[in-house]
Amino acid sequence: MIEAIQRLDCFVENKPGVLARMVGLISGRGYNIQALNVGPTEDGTVSRMKIDILGDTKVVNQIILQLRNQVNVIEVSARQIRKAK
Amino acid sequence: MKTIKERTGAQALVESLEKAGTEVLFGYPGGAVIDIFDRLVDAKFKFVLGRHEQGSAHMADGYARASGKVGVCLVTSGPGATNVITGLGTAYLDGVPMVVITGQVPLSQIGTDAFQEADMSGICRAVTKHSFLVQSADEIPETVAQAFYIATHGKPGPVVIDIPKNCQQALTKAQYPERVNLRAYHPEFTATPAQISRFAKLLNEAKKPVIYAGGGTIAAFAAKELGELARKAQVPVATTLMGLGAFDQTDPLSLGMAGMHGAPCANYAIDEADLIVALGVRFSDRVTGKLSAYAQKAKIIHVDCDPAEVNKNVAVELGIVADVRDVLATVASRVKAGNHDAWLAKIAGWKKAHPISYTTLHKGVIMPQQVIEAIDKVSQGEAIVVTDVGQQQMWASQYVHHRHARRFLTSGGMGTMGFGIPAAIGAALARPDLKVVAVCGDGGAQMTFEEVVVAVLEKLPITFVIVNNGCLGMVRQWQELFYHKRYSQTILKREGLEYLPDFLKLAEAHGAKAYRVLDPAKLDGVMKKALESKETTLVEVIVDPEANVYPMIPGGKTVKEMIFK
Repeated sequence: MIEAIQRLDCFVENKPGVLARMVGLISGRGYNIQALNVGPTEDGTVSRMKIDILGDTKVVNQIILQLRNQVNVIEVSARQIRKAK
Repeated sequence: MKTIKERTGAQALVESLEKAGTEVLFGYPGGAVIDIFDRLVDAKFKFVLGRHEQGSAHMADGYARASGKVGVCLVTSGPGATNVITGLGTAYLDGVPMVVITGQVPLSQIGTDAFQEADMSGICRAVTKHSFLVQSADEIPETVAQAFYIATHGKPGPVVIDIPKNCQQALTKAQYPERVNLRAYHPEFTATPAQISRFAKLLNEAKKPVIYAGGGTIAAFAAKELGELARKAQVPVATTLMGLGAFDQTDPLSLGMAGMHGAPCANYAIDEADLIVALGVRFSDRVTGKLSAYAQKAKIIHVDCDPAEVNKNVAVELGIVADVRDVLATVASRVKAGNHDAWLAKIAGWKKAHPISYTTLHKGVIMPQQVIEAIDKVSQGEAIVVTDVGQQQMWASQYVHHRHARRFLTSGGMGTMGFGIPAAIGAALARPDLKVVAVCGDGGAQMTFEEVVVAVLEKLPITFVIVNNGCLGMVRQWQELFYHKRYSQTILKREGLEYLPDFLKLAEAHGAKAYRVLDPAKLDGVMKKALESKETTLVEVIVDPEANVYPMIPGGKTVKEMIFK
């Protein structure tokens, strides 16, 4: 198991309940969100979320696929920002 | 230009459900949906009144599984909504398309702990594909169209529409859309030509191939294409529990079911195979056992419509995210007529050496497996068999000769006790041309027995079979095998007392004709009488409580640790 902090960069529809679905998918697995930033993009109907999570890379990759499956999610990309200490 | 008529949100909902193709609506009324129920009086579709909202949800689920259409359910806010959660979870884990409409308190009262208020969109999040909280009557037609689209596109699943009471009462001119436009949801994927070539090459080169088909094959309506490919390439087919019926088990190429209680030949073949063609499966822990020891000699091709499934539990050689039927239809012409005689002979050897079988434990006492054999014999394998969950479910999976898709309905992923009785009612409404038999244990039957009334009132000739062993058999079996026979809270029958409840009286109180069988010699005769009846019938069979489900690969173990008795 390789643990690392990954930053998920998400573009989602700006609608009620979307943040709750995204966060619920992560917290439901017992993963703690290290940092979270949400705001509108220039296109007011789209929000951007940056979610930092610490976890096993394999599981995080699975979470990304499941986030992409969400009805209001336009795109999710991820990058490792640092190895866990 | 045609003038658009203004009507209430409730009326717009009913019209939208009609436009979406609803034929049967299941549900239960309440204060927060009274406006919708008022409009149902004139609706074009049938309404079936359950006796508990969980029952209504499972009915919609059974209807969807048997028909391949969307199951639709309408319940009130608060407790009505929370009561459908188990039904939603059951449909979610098995990928069943459902639209569940829940009433909600008026928008102005949301968040005030109003009477019968529950945050449904919050509560249902983990057990639905998606949920909508309607904000105005104008949103209703488009939301219904979107909900049906989401339920049926990509991996099917349940969708909730929560509609506040004031939106049901408000007036709207909004029309049902011609087409659905979801900005971010485009779940249609197709295989690339390179993937198809690779699929064909791997299959053509394999010496010991096995097809392993799951519920996704049935969801994709791909049973015909699966049969054609398997026969052309002469590849044996194992299925999961959810895949039973995807391939005709009377075909010599059938290996039966794989997994924890699967056929030994299916598990041996997967263990020995050099190629596994996995179609619409998710490599559940009930099938794989210990993952690190699973199918070690095989390359794996995995075809599934859900990108989150490929490479989730097992690493695959070739993952194809696409519709299973499209892939099978496309690859068929590239696959050579196969000859795997040596491999098939080896499999035939396993089949002969380790058939699924049982021996009578006590003379004169019916073995539960016999009950399933009697159902299979009398119905000639043509009935829809709906199961509850536990030992009786596994025996039904093992002793029915599964021939057709959508004729074996079972809660596979969630393993929901209480599913059998209401799901059978939904199935009978979907397929009035077929006999429906529900196989339940005495435990699960008590969870949703109230729904038997619905079968009687709807004049459905369902046969409810209660396999009564006086205990919660599957947990009892685990306690016997792995917990030193400490039967903690699994024995329902009290020594010296008759079986309680009295299922005959219970069935009669619900208006069903009932039979009880204790004598093995009378089993076939009674089953025939019940299955041929035009009325709702119940057959209670008192069976040997010591019978266990075998073979068994204990959880997390390997094929080599299979227990035969």
